[in-house]
Amino acid sequence: MTDIKVVIPGDAVDTHMEVDGQEQQVLRLGPGLSHIGDTINAVNAGVLHSSSDGSQYWVVSNKRRYVAAEGEPVVGVVVARHAEGYRVDIGSAHDALLPLLAFEGATKRNKPNLAVGTTVYARVSVANSLMDPEIECFNSNTGKAEGFGELGEGFMFKCSLGLARRLFSSKAPVLNALGSKLPFEVAVGLNGRVWINTEKPETTVLVANAIKNSEFLDAKQCRQMVNELLDKH
Amino acid sequence: MSRPDRREHEQIRALNCVLGQLTRTDGSAQFSSGSTSLICGIYGPIEAKLYEEKIDRAHIDVKLRPAIGLPATKDKWAESAVRKTFERNILGHLHPRTLVQINLQVKENDGSVDAAAINATALALVDAGIPLRAMVAAASCAVRKDGEIVVDPVEEEIKKAMSTHTFAFSSNSPDDNPVYVDSRGSFTMDQYDRCFDLCAMTVQRILAFMRTAIEGKVAKESQISAV
Repeated sequence: MTDIKVVIPGDAVDTHMEVDGQEQQVLRLGPGLSHIGDTINAVNAGVLHSSSDGSQYWVVSNKRRYVAAEGEPVVGVVVARHAEGYRVDIGSAHDALLPLLAFEGATKRNKPNLAVGTTVYARVSVANSLMDPEIECFNSNTGKAEGFGELGEGFMFKCSLGLARRLFSSKAPVLNALGSKLPFEVAVGLNGRVWINTEKPETTVLVANAIKNSEFLDAKQCRQMVNELLDKH
Repeated sequence: MSRPDRREHEQIRALNCVLGQLTRTDGSAQFSSGSTSLICGIYGPIEAKLYEEKIDRAHIDVKLRPAIGLPATKDKWAESAVRKTFERNILGHLHPRTLVQINLQVKENDGSVDAAAINATALALVDAGIPLRAMVAAASCAVRKDGEIVVDPVEEEIKKAMSTHTFAFSSNSPDDNPVYVDSRGSFTMDQYDRCFDLCAMTVQRILAFMRTAIEGKVAKESQISAV
């Protein structure tokens, strides 16, 4: 990565880029950028990123309120049951719809029965600003659950969307540091909700605290913080 | 004649801001200009109530609480100043049928609260990640009885002033095109023009200050994610 370019709302972004002497024809704008008038402006404050061929631009910013985006895994809580599906709170402006048949092996006769208050891990299947989001607990191509579904015993807490995104990567230092010392289950939703489960409540509290503490720590500080928590444990 | 706090006529008070201070809101900012200080907390985009839901854009709700007592007419006026400024600046069409709630609490009022409210809201909206057309900042000035124009007046100066003016400008529109104007009292066209120019110049300084504050916050967050 080259030097970090920070943009704030209203900044014009220069997307003109030539590759091998030829001008790029198709330009894709990701989150945080908008085509206003005849310029491309940043609409969120964050770090500007671009693909190596200069055809894609996006802004990485940290938020606390989730806006559903297709394909993202989320942790949600069932708030109501209807004839056609469940209403699930995923932290966005509108509750998401989870159809009764969007589970592995679900048929009209054999449907999962989720109580109100159940935590589920699901993927956003429909997301646009005009419709309520829809989520599913299986891969609709293969019909397999692929880790999605009801989250049983455990503890769910909220964090910033930026932290959730970092936890989601396999290199997340805090999860690696914790995982090398004690066993635990974790499900990270990109909606800023993290579900964890361990054998003992004390360990659950420790893991939750460690993850929340890691918001502004780098890899080395994370390991140190986890060790300090484990010493007190 | 010197000013009550011995400032130059064109000198603003010391600016201070803190981003993301409130942990339970979606975004927050504290903005202080000297002893005038506000804190702004934002929720949004959240679910709108049925009667305020707009089919094609986000509803923007502004609530301001004064430092002492219950909201009075002047506080409602400040609310409308913030709403008018940001209704067109927030890209509401990206989040239709939702609500963006802006809550302002005055911590201390020593003049120029309307301008400080707009500045606090702009920073809090950025912290909340609400899509904005551009950055916005506001400044106030007062015309004294002796005809002198002073920027960022304190409460004492506003009480004695012939007229007071508040202008808000956006970062990517030209300086002759303000996004909010509020003038009250009796004044000549020439005085108005001088106030306009003085506020436009002051807003550029405030915008530069805001940029530094936001860049600091973003840099702090991105340093970690780069690891």
